[in-house]
Amino acid sequence: MSIDKTTALAKQIHNARGPLNRISMNAELIKLIIENDMPKDKALVALDKIISACQECSDSLQNISEQKYE
Amino acid sequence: MLNVLLVDDDTEFTDIASNIIEFLGHNTSVASSLTEAKQWIISQPFDHILLDFMLPDGSGLHLLDELKTLAPQPYVTFITGHPAVKGMLSEICGPKIDYLVKPIQREDIESALSRKPKAKTNSKTTKFTKHFGCLLGESESMHNLYTMIQRVASTQANVMLMGESGVGKEVIAHAIHQASGALGELVATNCGALSKELIGSELFGHEKGAFTGAVSKKDGVFERAENGTLFLDEVTEMPMDMQPNLLRVLESKKVVRVGGTKEIPVNCRVISASNRAVESIATDKVLREDIYFRLAVFPIDIPPLRQRAEDIPLLANAFLDELNQENNSQFAWSEAQLSKLKDYDWPGNVRELRHCVHRAFIMSDPQSNQVELPASFQSPFSLVKKANNSVSAGQTIEDVEKELIRITLEKVDGNKTAAADMLGISTKTLYNRLHAYGDFEE
Repeated sequence: MSIDKTTALAKQIHNARGPLNRISMNAELIKLIIENDMPKDKALVALDKIISACQECSDSLQNISEQKYE
Repeated sequence: MLNVLLVDDDTEFTDIASNIIEFLGHNTSVASSLTEAKQWIISQPFDHILLDFMLPDGSGLHLLDELKTLAPQPYVTFITGHPAVKGMLSEICGPKIDYLVKPIQREDIESALSRKPKAKTNSKTTKFTKHFGCLLGESESMHNLYTMIQRVASTQANVMLMGESGVGKEVIAHAIHQASGALGELVATNCGALSKELIGSELFGHEKGAFTGAVSKKDGVFERAENGTLFLDEVTEMPMDMQPNLLRVLESKKVVRVGGTKEIPVNCRVISASNRAVESIATDKVLREDIYFRLAVFPIDIPPLRQRAEDIPLLANAFLDELNQENNSQFAWSEAQLSKLKDYDWPGNVRELRHCVHRAFIMSDPQSNQVELPASFQSPFSLVKKANNSVSAGQTIEDVEKELIRITLEKVDGNKTAAADMLGISTKTLYNRLHAYGDFEE
């Protein structure tokens, strides 16, 4: 793989890590809410964010797979 | 409660992170750029700054210079999502600077804020205390060893580890490296495994074209261990004619690659290891005297497992626990089994014990939680060792006779007539002896 392609791939992987990080952090937040018997509204917001980040991450991975085989 | 400044341009991340940090009982302030962060640190003191590496108006590194002027200086944890940056950050990390790689978990934040290393994963948490992150044992001899490791780690002295095969010399080298907080890596090489032709290239590196097959330049282990630790295993197996070259490097702290002319300065602690007895190092002429004194500035004798038998149950439990975690099983030792393990003398030391636990684990019935120990622990090597070392000063004639009868019986699969023949005594005398020693009775 050329240096350009490697750099582009590294950047895309970096972009995919953003939503993964949000998924991880929101999941941690939900755990804290449950552990501390907090109102569930915040947990529901965090769950929506996880669902949206999953879609974003899936789109990033799709981009990577399409470009990798070009 | 800590005052934490969170600097990141990903607002969604800062929202969640500040929520989590507040849940953990700390105050959080948020900045989305370097400029905002600088304003924050002027306006109020912070205990800890969680800092994104890439910010819209520059690198998080720029903030470090500003922080150096503050007293007291806050702790900084860089946050990066880019694996390539990870290597660079690890180089600048020090007592007040650390880094986290996204995706981040709550434990990461907790350990960063508490300045304690995070346990690897929940499933890997262990109830066994690992000294220096890798050493198990609570016996007096191990605690003496920990003290020596702690003392020598704080110096730059070369260390020579001596002990029987299987006592864990490389693990102790890791412990010293770990405790020293050296910036460089631990690089290990086995002097006994390298041919006479290759050892120079392995230790000192070579230039391109130095010899047939040297198609490119190669760094030797001294260069690779720069600012770290070089572990020379089986150093006494190094050919004598290579030893002056090693001595030269140890004295001058400079290497010349094979086929090269330039002297390259090197800086690393050398930990060497040998499984030969100290006296045989001199009598067998396996190591030059001058090299010995350079390498063994601080010699450490590692006790064989039989001299710290009280650690055997702990080690057996720890090894079994590792296997249980790897295989999601719940095997456990019975008291009788632990006592049987403790009674054996483990000539192959910790390595042999680990091997035995693994073998027992594989043999055990998955339907039960009880480990199945083999009838005999002895390996072909332990039998050879026993045969070679069956007599030593301090043993009574009775002990030696008993041992001789035992190994003879083993040799002939318990056939007493054949054993008596081999021993040159009558079968009746053998029976009398066996009766007297009682131990052999099934």
